[in-house]
Amino acid sequence: MSKIKPDKIFEIYHDGKRIYTKSILPGKKHFEERTVKDNNQEYREFDPRRSKLAATIIKGCTNAGIRKGDVVLYLGISHGYTSSFISDMVGKEGLIFGVDPAPRVVRDLTFISKLRNNIIPILADANHPEQYLHRVSQADIVYQDIAQRNQAEIFIKNCNLFLKPGGYGLLAVKARSIDVKRKPKQIFEEIRKILEKEFTVIDYRILEPFEKDHCMIIIKKKSMS
Amino acid sequence: MYYFTNLIGTFILDNKLKVIDSLSFKNVEEYSQRENKEKQLIKKHQAGSLPENKLPQVLSLFKNQKYYSEFFLKNLQLTKQSIKESVNEDNLIIQTIANINELDRISNTLVKRLREWYSLYFPELAESVQSHEKFVELVSTKTRSQLLKDLHLEVAMGADLADEHLEEMHLLAKEVSSLYELRNKHEDYLKKIMEKYCPNLNELAGTTIGAKLIELGGSLKHLAMLPASTIQLLGAEKALFRHIKTGSKSPKYGVIINHPLIQDAKKDEKGKASRMLADKLSLCARLDFFKGEFKAKEYRKELEEKLR
Repeated sequence: MSKIKPDKIFEIYHDGKRIYTKSILPGKKHFEERTVKDNNQEYREFDPRRSKLAATIIKGCTNAGIRKGDVVLYLGISHGYTSSFISDMVGKEGLIFGVDPAPRVVRDLTFISKLRNNIIPILADANHPEQYLHRVSQADIVYQDIAQRNQAEIFIKNCNLFLKPGGYGLLAVKARSIDVKRKPKQIFEEIRKILEKEFTVIDYRILEPFEKDHCMIIIKKKSMS
Repeated sequence: MYYFTNLIGTFILDNKLKVIDSLSFKNVEEYSQRENKEKQLIKKHQAGSLPENKLPQVLSLFKNQKYYSEFFLKNLQLTKQSIKESVNEDNLIIQTIANINELDRISNTLVKRLREWYSLYFPELAESVQSHEKFVELVSTKTRSQLLKDLHLEVAMGADLADEHLEEMHLLAKEVSSLYELRNKHEDYLKKIMEKYCPNLNELAGTTIGAKLIELGGSLKHLAMLPASTIQLLGAEKALFRHIKTGSKSPKYGVIINHPLIQDAKKDEKGKASRMLADKLSLCARLDFFKGEFKAKEYRKELEEKLR
């Protein structure tokens, strides 16, 4: 029996090989993930091949910023694989606003949010914050995973509006949807430079081999002085 | 003084952004029918709308545990409502054409098996009847002796199997013919809704190709926004990206390759035909989306004249 220990990252656990989150809904699986019982607690395995957040953590990120009780604004929430784990991480006191423009995936998400009352599905386009401005509050974390050409622009727009001063932003960049011809690394550097103008970049991970041509950039918004 | 409205309520804020008066909504219905009450409240305090640079600060007022469950319940209801409203003809067309493709694939596999199976008994039939649909029909309706007469043959090469063996083949043939029937029904249905929803596209592209274009474009709206050159290559993405990345030959057509105008064009004019057809299809999609008049017949005539 492998013993599950807290990871160096908040709210994440590991057994030396894989990473887990402590389930807030023991006995419930949403995506047929592996679960492990240890000390009367249930842990859900966080698969780096399915989630860019898990891949970032496995690749050695030092601070993902997400803590218990946080409010997360998740842009491009999709079916909710990653967000179901973030929901574990923020716990029942936390909240996730999940924004996605596609009705098909939000439909799946509403079924998860019925069980996990800290995920709020919102059918809206992250490109137009005014569409959901009246439906969300300020957030401690902005997490964005959108395959759009103007990903960086959307991220900056949303961070300026919704992220609290001193809050963390996580941006998963998909190089292929920005330009298929250019080298991914070049694009990552470019985006990083754009973000550095506005925020402090605290981490930057390329997600090979889990995701091809993706990287994760973690930023911190400057606190008000 | 400013005012700010969200799902929770309408709030009047003073210049230091402190809440001095508010109107809370009990449920989503009150939120969507707030207009009058909101106006009264704003008038009472003579509040102006909030400048954009103060938004982040106001939003922070709502990051409070006491609002969380309210946010959850109201947002969930709104989202459910908008999911309900999001279903339209596009979804129906996409599902139908996807199922037609599915049925084609399944029936092809099954007919191939039936041909092999029935050839143990009567190989000449599979050899002489090329059309799958005809073959299934013949197997399920006629006996071997009748078919022998139709083909002007004396004896069959296949083994003389007992009825219990033939029974299974006939069952399969019946199943496949019911699949063909279903497919035809789907096509009729598709034609009916496409004639109403996108008459121009249906007329110029034909029902199946038109539906496939909508499927690949995602929706009629998206299709209408696409440039003609993209419509020309919808369904040829693999070849297109190979062309961009490695510099191989560029594809000339996507799903519109099956269109009769391209099929009948001369070999060295196929690319040209495809380009002109895509051009007109793009116009058709736009006419349909913005509810324009019916012009597809003129376009078709124009194309036929140019390509003659």
